[in-house]
Amino acid sequence: VSTAPRRTRRPTDQSGATARRADGSSSWIPTIRVTSTPPPSSTTSCKRAATHELHRRRRQLKALSGPELDDVAQQCADDAMMKILARIDDFEGLSRFTTWAYKFVIFEVSSKVARHAWQHHPPSAEEPTWERLPDTLTPKPGDQAERREQLAALVKAVEEDLTPRQREVFVAIALNDVSIDVLALQLDSNRNAIYKNLFDARRKLRASLAAAGRPLSDEEAHA
Amino acid sequence: MTDPHQLDELLRAQEGDAGCDAGVPIMDQYVEIELRGEDPSERFPGTTIHLRVCPGCRADHDGVLEAARRFADLDPE
Repeated sequence: VSTAPRRTRRPTDQSGATARRADGSSSWIPTIRVTSTPPPSSTTSCKRAATHELHRRRRQLKALSGPELDDVAQQCADDAMMKILARIDDFEGLSRFTTWAYKFVIFEVSSKVARHAWQHHPPSAEEPTWERLPDTLTPKPGDQAERREQLAALVKAVEEDLTPRQREVFVAIALNDVSIDVLALQLDSNRNAIYKNLFDARRKLRASLAAAGRPLSDEEAHA
Repeated sequence: MTDPHQLDELLRAQEGDAGCDAGVPIMDQYVEIELRGEDPSERFPGTTIHLRVCPGCRADHDGVLEAARRFADLDPE
């Protein structure tokens, strides 16, 4: 038997510091680890959290009525519990177990709500146009010439400087208020990839405005 | 009048943004720091920046925070 000290993973955060472990634990854990079966109370708690979250997001679920909403909550709780069971050994005690478990419930609700919204209200197949700019961005008669020129430079940059994918993502999300998750489903992609497209588009547009002499900040003006 | 801040917000792309995927494994830790009344940006600066501009991740964060706040004591075994 080796007497060498057991190497343990030292979790770190985005600042590079070592994370501290949470003191709180849960009586769910030994039950799940020993029997590979969730205690009934844990599925009840997950369903309660799913139901609450579905109500919090009900604006995106207009087509669902009470019993249907209850079915979706049960599906979310069941699917989350499958993931909790599969990942139970990954739990490192860096948060309370319930918080770690509810994270799976919320992500499951998020995913199902996005799919529901996409199926019932898919983004318009029509090519979005600048005529559909949000009111707050449309140049108004009272705007100074400088402001109108900045918006004109933005329109030109969107049309000329973005890749087709960046333009599609930017126009849908930033200008036409399409949900990032709905767009990800529409484009058969994922949230992170779509966000990267959006982030790159925004950076490119800021740089284009600065290059055209229409910077958005003093920092960009002097870059 | 067109709001100049609206355009700045529309094109917000802050250096250090951790992106969506980085927040997934740490979201439980992130909200617990908040529940303790501490500042999560010290440990997770990239996710703090990201949550300001990504509505999808912000909604997930708010959901985890609310579930942890409301249901943490419902561990009834």
